[in-house]
Amino acid sequence: MDKVEFMRFWIFIPFIFLTLFLPFFLSQYWLHVMIISLFYVMMASSWNLIAGYTGQISFAHAAFAGVGAYVSGMLAVNMGIPAWLGILIGTSIAGLLGLGLGYLCIRMGGIYLSLTTLGFSEILRIIITNEDRWTRGTMGLQIPGFFIEYSKMSYYFLFLIVSAFFLWVIYRLIRSEMGLSFRAVLNDELAASSSGIDTIRVRILAFTISSAMAGMAGGLYGHYLMLITPDIPSLGQMFLVLAMAVIGGMGSFIGPILGAFVLEILSEYIRIYGEYHVLLFGLVALGMARFAPGGIMGLLEKRWRLREMS
Amino acid sequence: MRQRILEGKGVTKSFGGLMAIHKVDFYLNEGEIVGLIGPNGAGKTTLFNVISGVYPLDEGELFFNGTSISSLKPFEICRLGIGRTFQIVRPFLKMTCLENILIGLIGRGERQKNLREKKKEARFYLEFVGLKGRENSVAKDLTLIEKKRLEMARALATNPKLLLLDEVLAGLNPSEILQALELIDIIRSQLRVTIFWIEHVMGAIMKASDRIIVLNQGEKIKEGKPEEIVSDPQVIEAYLGESNA
Repeated sequence: MDKVEFMRFWIFIPFIFLTLFLPFFLSQYWLHVMIISLFYVMMASSWNLIAGYTGQISFAHAAFAGVGAYVSGMLAVNMGIPAWLGILIGTSIAGLLGLGLGYLCIRMGGIYLSLTTLGFSEILRIIITNEDRWTRGTMGLQIPGFFIEYSKMSYYFLFLIVSAFFLWVIYRLIRSEMGLSFRAVLNDELAASSSGIDTIRVRILAFTISSAMAGMAGGLYGHYLMLITPDIPSLGQMFLVLAMAVIGGMGSFIGPILGAFVLEILSEYIRIYGEYHVLLFGLVALGMARFAPGGIMGLLEKRWRLREMS
Repeated sequence: MRQRILEGKGVTKSFGGLMAIHKVDFYLNEGEIVGLIGPNGAGKTTLFNVISGVYPLDEGELFFNGTSISSLKPFEICRLGIGRTFQIVRPFLKMTCLENILIGLIGRGERQKNLREKKKEARFYLEFVGLKGRENSVAKDLTLIEKKRLEMARALATNPKLLLLDEVLAGLNPSEILQALELIDIIRSQLRVTIFWIEHVMGAIMKASDRIIVLNQGEKIKEGKPEEIVSDPQVIEAYLGESNA
């Protein structure tokens, strides 16, 4: 463990205490904000896995969350399948769609993945909006909750546990051989393939895992809101997740977590400006990408390293 | 006769209308050091890129240990036992030295070893190329010769039987060249790796090689022992003439 990693570890401990005990002191409103923040932690961290660690900019992440939410929601409404099972099915379908989409467009490389996922995302949103017999379109589909008895506290801990699980998986993954291969592919694809790394397989795998995670996050989100609309798989949602990862720090483990909390809490304060807050975040994200590509985490790390040297 | 480790028959590659290499026949015996020389644009690096699978070949056939590798992808060719370095060094710049070498070990595709064992082995290659103590340095902070050593270590970590070296001496000062030559000598004698080597530093390649292949404008114009090459009028005209005149 080097010094920076050591400091990160110590920052984590009070953070864990905070997440465990803070909710008991929060109002219902702030508890809701925390739950939504945790949803975005899952979304931004899993998006970071492909965008930050293998350099593939996918715009279908919110769409996969939509797949998770609608699959699970419609199964519950039409067939009475319990939420936990529905979410698992939704996760698998999101993962399979990710695998298929990845298989088709990852070998084309870079920009084609972005364009194809952008198209996929919009097509999915349009289908959900128009097939209102099944999805009730923009009116939204009412679905049962995850728990029989509604309690924000239970949802908070459910989201906390799943987020922690996601983060654990991501942490283990980026420190495994697979994670090293991810970074090698990001650094130099030609050199990686000439060193025996099956770069296509590595990238498809990352894409599949990340898509499945988005599906699970979306499923949980749907069963928390109990009303799912085409806003979940929308591009607005996608850009919010993107802004969180970029502002927090792409390619760092903590960055997207930080970005998710900061932006979600901030957006509660600037809610009065309506949808303009996404525009604002977009501008900040652009500025960050230009002047501080490492995001907030990158800036912090630089300061730590400087202090270490002096 | 020693076994042929690599053989190319009528290897041809063009980019659009430009014929980069045209009907080149060549072979390497096991344990040899073969130099590949020729003026700029002769097609040397293209030949390496075709061998390592970066470019598919247009015509001809490549055999490695008797099996055809013409339609394989770079990672498959690497796993068969052909490692390479790049003319312009390409270490993974944002990764540490140890991580760079680990990628070569992971690239072998051996599932039975865990990461800790692979790290231990990576340290062996780190020391082997003389980068001891640089384990946690990020590759972008290395000097040019260190980057070249690192790239060599990464290539060696894939456990190659044949190593393609693309101008490893370029940009090095005389004492660094001596060090690099020493390293290449150890690679051949200790690790028993066959070496196919592009170089512009004539003195060095003539001394180190068992055999030289000369390319000019995409065609093989001469092949033979170093002393035959230096005295060949065609070669002098195509290549040495340019720089010695």
